[in-house]
Amino acid sequence: MEDVGTRILAVEDDERIRSAVKLALEDEGWTVDEAESGEEAIEKFQRSNPDVVLIDIMLPGIDGFELCRTLRRTSDVPVVMVTARNDTHDVVAGLEAGADDYLTKPFAPKELSARIRALLRRIRPGAPGHARLSFGDLELIPDEGKVMRDGEEVHLTKTEFRLLCELAESPGKVLSREALLDKVWGYDYFGDGRLVDVHVRRLRTKVEADPANPRHVVTVRGLGYRLQT
Amino acid sequence: MNEGGWFRRLVNRSRPAALGLRRRILLIFTLGSLLLSLFLAITTFGLARSNLITERVDTAVTTSQRNAQGVERDLRSLPADAAVAQASLDRIGVEDYLIWYRNTWTGGAATFQNPDVPSALVTRVIEEGESASQIVRIGDELNVVVGWDVPGIGAYFEAFPLEEADSTLANVRLSLVLAAAITTGLGILLGIFAARRAVRPVGSAAQAASAIAGGRLDTRLEPTEDPDLRILTESFNDMAAALQQRVERDARFASDVSHELRSPLMTLSASVEVMEARRDELPERAQAALDLLSSDVTRFQGLVEDLLEISRFDAGAIRLHMEELLAAEFVRQAVAVSSLPDTPVEADERAELALIRGDRRRLARVIANLIDNARAYGGGEPEVSISVVNPDEEPISHLRIVVEDHGPGVPEEERDLVFERFARGGGAGRRTGSEGAGLGLSLVDEHVRMHGGRVWVEDRLDGESGARFVIELMATELDE
Repeated sequence: MEDVGTRILAVEDDERIRSAVKLALEDEGWTVDEAESGEEAIEKFQRSNPDVVLIDIMLPGIDGFELCRTLRRTSDVPVVMVTARNDTHDVVAGLEAGADDYLTKPFAPKELSARIRALLRRIRPGAPGHARLSFGDLELIPDEGKVMRDGEEVHLTKTEFRLLCELAESPGKVLSREALLDKVWGYDYFGDGRLVDVHVRRLRTKVEADPANPRHVVTVRGLGYRLQT
Repeated sequence: MNEGGWFRRLVNRSRPAALGLRRRILLIFTLGSLLLSLFLAITTFGLARSNLITERVDTAVTTSQRNAQGVERDLRSLPADAAVAQASLDRIGVEDYLIWYRNTWTGGAATFQNPDVPSALVTRVIEEGESASQIVRIGDELNVVVGWDVPGIGAYFEAFPLEEADSTLANVRLSLVLAAAITTGLGILLGIFAARRAVRPVGSAAQAASAIAGGRLDTRLEPTEDPDLRILTESFNDMAAALQQRVERDARFASDVSHELRSPLMTLSASVEVMEARRDELPERAQAALDLLSSDVTRFQGLVEDLLEISRFDAGAIRLHMEELLAAEFVRQAVAVSSLPDTPVEADERAELALIRGDRRRLARVIANLIDNARAYGGGEPEVSISVVNPDEEPISHLRIVVEDHGPGVPEEERDLVFERFARGGGAGRRTGSEGAGLGLSLVDEHVRMHGGRVWVEDRLDGESGARFVIELMATELDE
C-alpha cells in the first residue's frame, strides 16, 4: 500500500478553491474526494475511508471544528485544518478539536502537499528500535503502535503517538519545540510552537493520571518537553 | 507617519501651553500675595508708627509740662533768675531744655541748641503764647520739641529723642517684613498647588491623548462631577470614541478586503501551480505569460498577507509569541528561508552568544522583508551582519542586525518615508522597480517597534553606494 492508493478528502465550501486544490493534489498522484459541507464530509468519510482529511473551518452548517471533533470520535485519521486567520484562537481551537496540523489561507498548494506527506509518513513510524518501553504506569509498544496505561490500552492519534515515541527515544532528555516540530511534523526552524503545545496538552489528558500535574510528559520552562517515569 | 502622527503633534503642541497656564496661575498668586502682604505690612507699620509717636509725644508733653511748671515756679520766685530754674532742672536730670527768659536763651546742651527749635514753633509759643510741639530732626535723630509758654515771663522748650520709638519701629518693621515674606511664600505654595490642580485635568487629558496616539484607542478620561471640567471630559471622550470607531472601521475594512481576496487568491495560486507542473507542454509565449502570472500571484499573496498583518496592527490585535532566540542562529535561519537564501551572514563573537527576545516568525518576516527590499532595489546581493552595539559593555544590552545592499542608496530626505505604507519616493529611481514598495518596510518598522527596538536606514559605512538598514534590538548574554 504505497502512495498510489492515498485518498484525500477535501472539505471546502468554495467550489473554485476545491477544484483548484483537487487539481494540484491530484498532480501529486493522490486521489481526492470533495465535500462541500460537514454533513457531506461525514457521509463521504465513512464511504471512502480517506488517509488524510483537509478541513476548512468556515463551513456552512456544522463548522470545521465540529466536523473535526465528530471524525475524532471514531477515527484517528490525520486532519489538516485550513484556518482563515493566523489568530491564536482559530489555530488553537482547531488543534484542540483534534487537527494534526494547520495551514492559513492563502497557502501554496506545495506547502499543503508537504504537510500531507509529513502526515502520511507519520502514520507509519519507522525505526521501532525497542519492542517495549516502560515509564512507570505507562507502557509503549512502538511496533504495534500501542500505548498501555495500567495495563489498559490508551487510544492516541497517530500524531500523539509519534510525539510520545519521539520523547521516549531519549527518556529524561529535554526536546525543544523546534526539535519536536522537525521530528514529528517535518517543519523547519519557523514551525509553530503552538502545534507542539496543544498536542502535548492533548497527550497528557490521555496518558496522565492527573493531566494538570503531569508526571510523564513534563514541561521544562523555556526549553521544551521531557518524558520521565 | 502613521495616523497617530498629527495627533501626537497636536498633543506635543499643547504641552507648552499647559506650562504657560501653570506659570500664569503661579504668577498671579505670587503677585497677589506679595501686593496684599505689602499693603498690610505698610498699613500696619504706618499705624504702629503713628501710635508710637503719638504716645511718645504725649509723654513728652506731660513730662515737659511738669518741668515747665517747675521753671515757671522758679522764675516767679525771687530772685527771679534763669540760673535757679536751670539748677533745679539739672538737679532732676533734665538735659535737653531751653529757657527763653528776658529775651535770651539759657540752657541747652550739646544735643539741643536754640537754633534747633524751629522758628514756627518759636513764633507760636513765644509770640502767640500757645503751647505746642513739633517733630524735628536734630543732628541725625528725630526729636519732639515741646514748647510751653510761661505767661508774661518767657517760654520753656524741651526736646525728647524719639530714638526709642525708632528702635521699636525697627522691630515692628522687621517682623512685618518677615510676615510679608512668609505670606508671599505661602501664596506661592498655594499658587503651585492651585496651578497643579487647575492643570491636572489638562495633564490627564494629555496623557490620555498620547495613550490614544500610541494605539490604546480605548483610553478614556474618568468622568468627573465638576461641571467646568465635565465639558472637557465629555468632549474628549466623545472625540476618542469617534476616533476609535473610525480607526476600527478602517482597520476592519482593510481586514475584510484582504479576507475577501484570499479565496480567489487560493484558487489562483493552486491553478498556477497545476499549470507550472505542465510548463513544458505549453507554447513559448504561453510559458512567458505563465511566468508573469505566477510571479505576480506570489507577489499578490505576499501583499495580502502584509495587508492582513497591517490591519491586525491597526486593530491592535497583534499578540507576539515571545521566545528567547539565539540571535546569530536565528538570523541565519531567517536568511535561509528568505528570497535570497545564499546571502552571507556575519556575526561578531559576542553576537554569536547573544539572546534576543522576540516573536520568531515575525522577526523572520522582518529580515525576509529587508532582503526582499535589497533584492528589488538594492542590486540583489545584500550582506547581513550581526554585531553588539557596544562591544565593551558588560553585559551587553543591544545588538544590531544590519542588511546592506549595493543599490543607489536612500537619499537623506526619503529615509523616514521609505518606512511608510506604500511609500514610493521619487529620487534616485529607487522606487521605480517593477515590484512596488508595498508594505514590506512599513511592516519592518511596526514589527521592530513592537519588539521595543528601532530601525533606520543610512549610507553604507564603507563609502560605496548602497543602503544600510539597521535594526537595533535589546539583547542579553547567553549564560551557560
